[in-house]
Amino acid sequence: MRLVGIDTRARIRKIVVYAIYIILLSSFQVSFPDRISFLGQTADLMFVFVVLSGYFNGFWDGAIVGIVCGMIRDVFSPPAVVGLDGEVRVTAFIGVFTLFAVGIIGSAFFTRRMRRNIPFSIVAVIFTTFCYKVAGYILIYGWSSLAGAESSRYSLTTALIYSLLPQLLLNVIASIPLILLIRFLGPVSFKGNGKKDEIIKDKGEGTWLGI
Amino acid sequence: MKKLLKSKWFIALVVLLVLAACAVLSLLPNSPVRKILKPVQSVGAPAQSFVKNAGDTLSDFWAAITDGIAIREENEALKEEIADLRYQLTQNEEAALRYEELKDALHIKDTFSNYEIYGASILSRESDEWFSTIRLNAGTADGIELAEGSAYPVLDVEMNLVGRVIETSDTESRVLPLLHEGFAVAGKVNAVNGATFMVLGDAELKRQGLCLVTDIDPDVRLEPGMEIVTSGDGGLFPEGIPIGVIETVDNSNPLEITATLRPYSQIGKLEDVFIMIPYVEESTDETTQVTN
Repeated sequence: MRLVGIDTRARIRKIVVYAIYIILLSSFQVSFPDRISFLGQTADLMFVFVVLSGYFNGFWDGAIVGIVCGMIRDVFSPPAVVGLDGEVRVTAFIGVFTLFAVGIIGSAFFTRRMRRNIPFSIVAVIFTTFCYKVAGYILIYGWSSLAGAESSRYSLTTALIYSLLPQLLLNVIASIPLILLIRFLGPVSFKGNGKKDEIIKDKGEGTWLGI
Repeated sequence: MKKLLKSKWFIALVVLLVLAACAVLSLLPNSPVRKILKPVQSVGAPAQSFVKNAGDTLSDFWAAITDGIAIREENEALKEEIADLRYQLTQNEEAALRYEELKDALHIKDTFSNYEIYGASILSRESDEWFSTIRLNAGTADGIELAEGSAYPVLDVEMNLVGRVIETSDTESRVLPLLHEGFAVAGKVNAVNGATFMVLGDAELKRQGLCLVTDIDPDVRLEPGMEIVTSGDGGLFPEGIPIGVIETVDNSNPLEITATLRPYSQIGKLEDVFIMIPYVEESTDETTQVTN
């Protein structure tokens, strides 16, 4: 006797698997950052997971996983910013903003043209990491000029050699096991992969929890 | 119009604008926006704590297997050290008794006698170079009430400066670490009438684990290896907390001498810390009553 339909089972699987991965990855990243660090940078497991969720599973997965991971990031390790009055304050929603944006960029990164193929997902991780870092430097430069906090600025050499490149390398390395997890132990079954993009094409990408 | 409202990209744009507005509003003093994430904290914190404990247990188990021989050798060395320390202890007990007598007689105050010390454990650390505050498992429920504009020093087990508490919730506190670019403390050379200057976090030096020392008087001679402690200026930090040692000094511009400082505390290796909270003085009210 089947108590739950196939769609319901797929939805439950999706929610449970996403919840487990989000809790495990975010907790590991903030509890043991020194184990996944190189040259002062930490492999951003949450960031890579959000990009890959968007890339492989579509717009709504990227957006929702991005919002949830962002909220957890804002709770576990929120950024402290020097305000315009010179006081340092803990902020909220910067993590949600960042990871939501990253999730939808990941979902739109040549996903149809490249048919969500595995090797190109690494290019998506590199592209989004590059965008995140460059946007961060620009924002920090602008805000520190406004707030008069010169100590927050990076020189071009530091930004490139000691921040961007190590972060790109670490995120690419982190993406390999995460790609395998999402594809083979992930929230969505990729059996009958040929049909998947047809479903997306027919019904649009608003099929969150329904693929 | 209907088509636009149903467009996923339009929805995404609206959500991004709302989130950006929330992020800016959260920077305002006593902003209620930060409280929106409280439910996530109550759900996420126990899960993260479970994963952390599981990781620590695994790590300890692995260490117990791999470190067996090293532990045995260390144990032998420690036994010898204990014997030495016992001898020193008996010597020091007498000195301590004399110190207590002199302290009462000369009204000497302990360095941190006006502060209450709370122990706390680190719950989570930075998730990347920009999301870099630290969470502690002690909050207002434990007596750590933080008024706007104030901050409490956070020390490691060896009483070295780690950072300062900048936000508290019911069960947790957030710490701005010493290396964060927003951190600033008045420091001085650890000597009688030592020269004072500012010790700052700096984005450029953070990756090397260093702080920047500025506002150095041109007449003062700073040298690598000198110990720097808090000067007590500004009132947030008491005088005499060890910060670190001078690593390099840049005298190239005599009008703007700078130096780098290597902090004693290694935040990545810390598990437990102490929060220093000044005793609230109630004498003012009593004095007023007496005067009336």
